[in-house]
Amino acid sequence: MFNKTKLQNGVHLYIRKTEQFKTVNVTIKWKAPLDQKKASERTVLANVMEDSTKQYPTLSSMRKALDELYGTVLFTDVSKRSSQHMVSLYTECVNDEFFVGEDIFKQLWQLIRSVVFDPNVTNKAFDPDVTEREKRNVRDRIRSIYDDKTRFAQKRMLEIMRPDHPASISAYGTEAAVSEITNESLYATYEDMINNDLIDIYVVGDVDEKEIIEQIKQFLPFEARDAAKQNDLPDVNVSGSVNTVREKQDMKQGKLHLGFHTPVSFHHPDYHKMQITNGVFGGFAHSKLFMNVREKESMAYYANSAFASHYGIVYVTAGIDADLEEKAVKLILEQLTALQNGDITEVELSQTIALLENSILSANDSARSQIEIYDQYKELDESFTAERLIQKWESVTLEDIKEMANTIQLEIVYLLSGKEGVSK
Amino acid sequence: MKEIKFDQLQEKIYTETLDNGLKVVILPKRGFSKTFVTFTTKYGSIDRTFKPHGKDEFITVPDGIAHFLEHKMFEKEDGDVFQKFSLNGASANAYTTFGRTAYLFSATNKLKENTKVLLDFVQQPYFTKQTVDKEKGIIAQEITMYDDQPDWRLYFGTIENLYENHPVKIDIAGTVESIQDITAEHLYTCYETFYHPSNMLLFIVGAVKPEEMMAFVKEDQAKKSFDKPEAIERQFPTESKKVDVPERTLTMDVSKPKLNIGMKCNEIDLQGQEMLETELSANLVLDSLFGRTSAFYEKANAEGLVDESFSYEFSMEEGYGFAMVGSDTDEPERLEELIRHTIKDAKTNWPVQEEDLDRMRRKKIGQFMRSLNSIEFIANQYTRYEFNKMNLFDVVPTLENLSMDKLKQAFATFSDDSSYTIFKVLPPKTQ
Repeated sequence: MFNKTKLQNGVHLYIRKTEQFKTVNVTIKWKAPLDQKKASERTVLANVMEDSTKQYPTLSSMRKALDELYGTVLFTDVSKRSSQHMVSLYTECVNDEFFVGEDIFKQLWQLIRSVVFDPNVTNKAFDPDVTEREKRNVRDRIRSIYDDKTRFAQKRMLEIMRPDHPASISAYGTEAAVSEITNESLYATYEDMINNDLIDIYVVGDVDEKEIIEQIKQFLPFEARDAAKQNDLPDVNVSGSVNTVREKQDMKQGKLHLGFHTPVSFHHPDYHKMQITNGVFGGFAHSKLFMNVREKESMAYYANSAFASHYGIVYVTAGIDADLEEKAVKLILEQLTALQNGDITEVELSQTIALLENSILSANDSARSQIEIYDQYKELDESFTAERLIQKWESVTLEDIKEMANTIQLEIVYLLSGKEGVSK
Repeated sequence: MKEIKFDQLQEKIYTETLDNGLKVVILPKRGFSKTFVTFTTKYGSIDRTFKPHGKDEFITVPDGIAHFLEHKMFEKEDGDVFQKFSLNGASANAYTTFGRTAYLFSATNKLKENTKVLLDFVQQPYFTKQTVDKEKGIIAQEITMYDDQPDWRLYFGTIENLYENHPVKIDIAGTVESIQDITAEHLYTCYETFYHPSNMLLFIVGAVKPEEMMAFVKEDQAKKSFDKPEAIERQFPTESKKVDVPERTLTMDVSKPKLNIGMKCNEIDLQGQEMLETELSANLVLDSLFGRTSAFYEKANAEGLVDESFSYEFSMEEGYGFAMVGSDTDEPERLEELIRHTIKDAKTNWPVQEEDLDRMRRKKIGQFMRSLNSIEFIANQYTRYEFNKMNLFDVVPTLENLSMDKLKQAFATFSDDSSYTIFKVLPPKTQ
């Protein structure tokens, strides 16, 4: 369990003391409303911040300092959840107990302090060379999605299904927004993030809680901010008609992506029932999609479904021979119809519950996933535990699945395929 | 049951080789919820020419058969093994590499039931013409999926360039054509030759009681009958130290050109501690030449020759080895030149100082300690080390004792000019 300490308004610390790991993990998350321009600024900023500080002005001096500290890990990343954008600073160092006489952990705090509060800035602007380099890196990262056809197809499907909606806005922003960034605008974004974002700090490891609280007060003196702000997702109008979109690139396999709407999302009281429903539909190797599309028909190597709970979207992805699009779509929809008709066995239900249980309990075995899972579920319940969620799953019935499946409505069939080989 | 303590790492392993030849290793992890179990045979895609169990003549089997066999192990007369694991709340999987096939599951309860399912399904083959033919469609889609992945094509294309004859150049899954030739009889032949317990290792790590678990496995194995262990004879073609193809380009629909440089390793008969030292040394050399703190990286990064995809690696197994350096880049020629220059320069102007070695040693030790948080890492790597007669838990003491001479020696194994190859994936318009 994480113990919560309120450091300031809008700044919270969560500590989990455990002897399980050989390392100590410190993660800081900055959360702000998601929009494309801001997302781009924050992504470039995250890159710039991990590269250098006033104390370590070059990438090489910064990385050498980390290497000296027994390969201490320090990196940033960005992500999104619902209508929130998150910048995360992840750090991990070897526990001092393995190296007598070293004070690795204390030095880690100093490094974090210098990354967060003492960046490589002169006259309220970041180093122009570093900014340009990281703009280029982020631009290339956005472009490279094109090379991964599964990710590209998923991105296109979401863009068509939910244009200008947080569901389809990339946490990296857009190429156009990246190119507009200046050293000054980047610094303004930095100040905004440090002073106004909601901040959650996580510490996991064999640590002394009191000591941590003192160290954070000393090294990370964040000031109070408005903790109430949260913005809602825009409303979605589902028309009822199905959009069929086919796009082409030079490639061999057809990437078939189906998008479905459901009114049951993360904050809905039936959320846990939809998790089970998705599991029976296509979440696992015993699921209907895997058994029928892959095993019975040998049509695909993968055929899965996923539940993007924050956006009320269920989607199915399958890699198929593009000529078989029609057959594959029919087969996929038949599996959903089976669920909607209540054609589900107790065995399928208990397999799904058992595997969901296994996955949430397994997540306990990594500090990173302990943090990520708690950070998400605490929005529903501050005293969240895996056991509570498992209890809810165990109460789900066949009738519940039928009911949930009937809220699922097909919106789009998207196929990305090669320039030849599409029959229609 | 042997008990070995690693005080510095605060870990303890329990090992025993059973009467049928199966090696069992158990490592309990304090505070963990799940247990991860791998059952691995020393048999991979490169084992294509061998003497079948009980026969005197060498045969060569179709490409992709080890991987095909991996797929087919999951299907039995009474249905799909995944179903059984699912009922017990276990998440199961398998993978095939050049030299190994591993079957695995992770579970947070019913450890014995799940281990029983694992042992039984891997030790009871069931192949028919019908089920073998059915699998061809699924694997063909798997192969096609990889065909569309430019980074996979880049990696494999580089290996294909490096080797003239060695089967490491053949895609692990084979080709859509080669798998058509696979029959149930082939699968039985490969199974009987390579899935003998004496060619396998069972690794159990996580929330496990060692004594109880060892007794359980022993009892299970004692009930099953196996032929007497027989030495496996594999045959590999001779391979020159030079690369087969010095340069090749592939056009694919990518956003930016991709460059990869492969360097063939000319020291390929190492095993055990010698292999461990060479492998760790080579990694340290690559770190110092190409890592984030290197002069190379500083220059390449400042000039925009590399991006976040930049990576380098060293791989060494029995019979083959290579180093690779690559990145997506708008200027493949300039990046190639800089990488070549960096290697060439290091031959006359050794770039690693004692203080660098010391720093990198600390980094690697910390990295290794960190990876011991991952029970997947422990199980998979321990098995790989064991099959190469090394011990995973020797990594830290070996790092502590590495000398500068050893680094120079390791560098010499892959820095010969005639052992280089270039592979590029280019978008259509730059052609």
